Amino acid sequence: MNKTININLANLFFHIDEVAYSKLQRYLEAIKRSFANTSGSEEIIADIEARIAELFHEKMENERQVITEKEVDEIIGIMGQPEDYMVDEDIFEDQPQSTKKSGRVRKLYRDIDNKYIGGVSAGLGHYFGIDALWVRLLWILLTIFSWGGFVFIYILLWILIPEAVTTAQKLDMRGEAVNISNIEKKVKEGFDDVAEKVKNVDYEKVGNKVKNGSRGFFNAIADIIMFFFKIIGKFIGIILIVIGAAGIVALLIGLFTVGILDIIHLPGVDFYNLVNSTSTPVWVVSILTFFAIGIPFFFLMYLGLKILVNNLKSIGNIVKFTLLGLWLISIILLTVFGIHQAAAHAYSGNVATENELIFAQPSEPITLNLRSTDRDKQENNMRINGIVLDYTENGEEILISRDFRMYIKMSHDSLARIEVRKNANGNSFKNATETAAKINYSYMVQGNTILLDDFLTTGRENKFRDQDVRVYLYLPMGTKVEFGKSPENCWTIRANNDQNMNGCEITKYAWMLNKDGALKCENCPETEEADDDNNGKIIINENGVDIDIKGDGDNFKLKIDDKGVQFKTNETRSTDLKRDTVQ
Amino acid sequence: MNIENTKAQMRKGVLEYCILSILNGEDKYTSEILDTLKDAKMLVVEGTIYPLLTRLKNAGLLNYRWEESTSGPPRKYYTLTETGKLFLKELDTTWDELRNATNLVTKTKNN
Repeated sequence: MNKTININLANLFFHIDEVAYSKLQRYLEAIKRSFANTSGSEEIIADIEARIAELFHEKMENERQVITEKEVDEIIGIMGQPEDYMVDEDIFEDQPQSTKKSGRVRKLYRDIDNKYIGGVSAGLGHYFGIDALWVRLLWILLTIFSWGGFVFIYILLWILIPEAVTTAQKLDMRGEAVNISNIEKKVKEGFDDVAEKVKNVDYEKVGNKVKNGSRGFFNAIADIIMFFFKIIGKFIGIILIVIGAAGIVALLIGLFTVGILDIIHLPGVDFYNLVNSTSTPVWVVSILTFFAIGIPFFFLMYLGLKILVNNLKSIGNIVKFTLLGLWLISIILLTVFGIHQAAAHAYSGNVATENELIFAQPSEPITLNLRSTDRDKQENNMRINGIVLDYTENGEEILISRDFRMYIKMSHDSLARIEVRKNANGNSFKNATETAAKINYSYMVQGNTILLDDFLTTGRENKFRDQDVRVYLYLPMGTKVEFGKSPENCWTIRANNDQNMNGCEITKYAWMLNKDGALKCENCPETEEADDDNNGKIIINENGVDIDIKGDGDNFKLKIDDKGVQFKTNETRSTDLKRDTVQ
Repeated sequence: MNIENTKAQMRKGVLEYCILSILNGEDKYTSEILDTLKDAKMLVVEGTIYPLLTRLKNAGLLNYRWEESTSGPPRKYYTLTETGKLFLKELDTTWDELRNATNLVTKTKNN
């Protein structure tokens, strides 16, 4: 069952069913478009409609019969495709041209007559007015530099750009190239047009003609503006295609790189598994990311092509909605994955152990030293966030982290103790505590020396969960502390001291734990003034000028403030200028 | 070179001449012109004729008048103008020359 529509075709009345109607309408629209630039197009269309009406009339046996798709197809068979209506311009060159210059800007088609593969390069060559050879060369270069990514783009273009089959399409393909000189020509033509129209307005009889003249004048201006819009549109189209293609290619390269790395197990991708909190394999995440980012890029490119190619093949609603669905699914899955990932770090747990430290001679100075690992320095070990993946002698994979700090505190009694606090994150408190318990950390006491690891290790299966170790050294008041010879990661040491020195500076001196819980320096040199660096200072501010430079025995001091000007060098003479002398 | 293309070009080149010839002596309406051309296999699809007729009319070679039809829509009857007749005469000569020339050339080749 089908709805019917009543139409008036060349003053004749017809019943036509809905499907046939839309087909006929499309057909007439297409014909109208192909005559858009021809003079007398309305008359031609009227003739064609009259003929179609006549043909329908012959086919209909009675008034009540309905025109169906079959009849429309037959009519189209008799009348021919829209491009058959086009009469080649060059045959009728002496004919009066339409008032508008026939500015046929090239259309993008695939040139299948000169093709190597799909005719894409040849078509692009026609479009930009350059030899197809250069386009092909560019393709080859791009393909090499993008690791073959542009092959994909080529296939996309192959699918999307229609091939030039009919003569009209071939002529369109070879029309005027979209290049700078042609644009220039067009613009010039447009301005000449306007200039002429202005002249005509001046010389021609004013009165009635003014109306026509000015209309023509504004039409010409409108034409120029429209033309500019078209050109800008084309450029936007080209830019969109470039952006879309570049995005897709970059993603493809990324995808392939990750995929290949995953297969040959390079350490870099292993890290993904360390961070990964769900059991999603790396390739799934890669493909999801590819869809989530790639599909918008694809639509960008498609939009660009649509601007450039008027009669672009539609990718079809099924494909469009499939892509949209795929994109949404990718986004959702990635979000879920991200939430999972975040949840894996939601709780933090710690395990603390406290032990008494027994030194051989507690009254003598205690030497503190840090032990480093050189495992994380090896070039072939990849690292993220200070975590390094390495193998033990037994071939087991372990994670090494430098997230370690040591604090020196005062003990409340006469015992020396050490507290090792291991921290980790997890998706539950229990999980976090378990992960923390699996951290390996060790220290040694030998005689009066305590040797602390400045790193921690854990099994690979525990994954990266922000593991860290904090060591608190509780020493009785009055304990003398020394440090081993410049430990490498001295900055991990934290201790209150009366010199306000940082971890590395305190390792240079000998200390004693004072009763306020801070270290008191035993052998620090006397500091002269606050400015301990020997290069001096140059201060210029609202208070005046204060310059104090000390070199290898040269001395220069200049002070200008509200007291006046003071000037001093290492020569014995000192100059003291009074304020009024200066002024 | 595409053979279909060349054929189409050849046909289109003489189509104007054929239309003018058909209208020589008697007025005809579009469908009649079309039937004659189609019988002679000058035309594959009808579409080509309409822009051509309009061109010829705009060039002042043809004229038309409407006539009511007993069955179907009113018909457009085309008729040759004086200019059209002169034009046709000129084309007749050219065609004869062309035909002779073509015959001559192709015969020499064949023998």
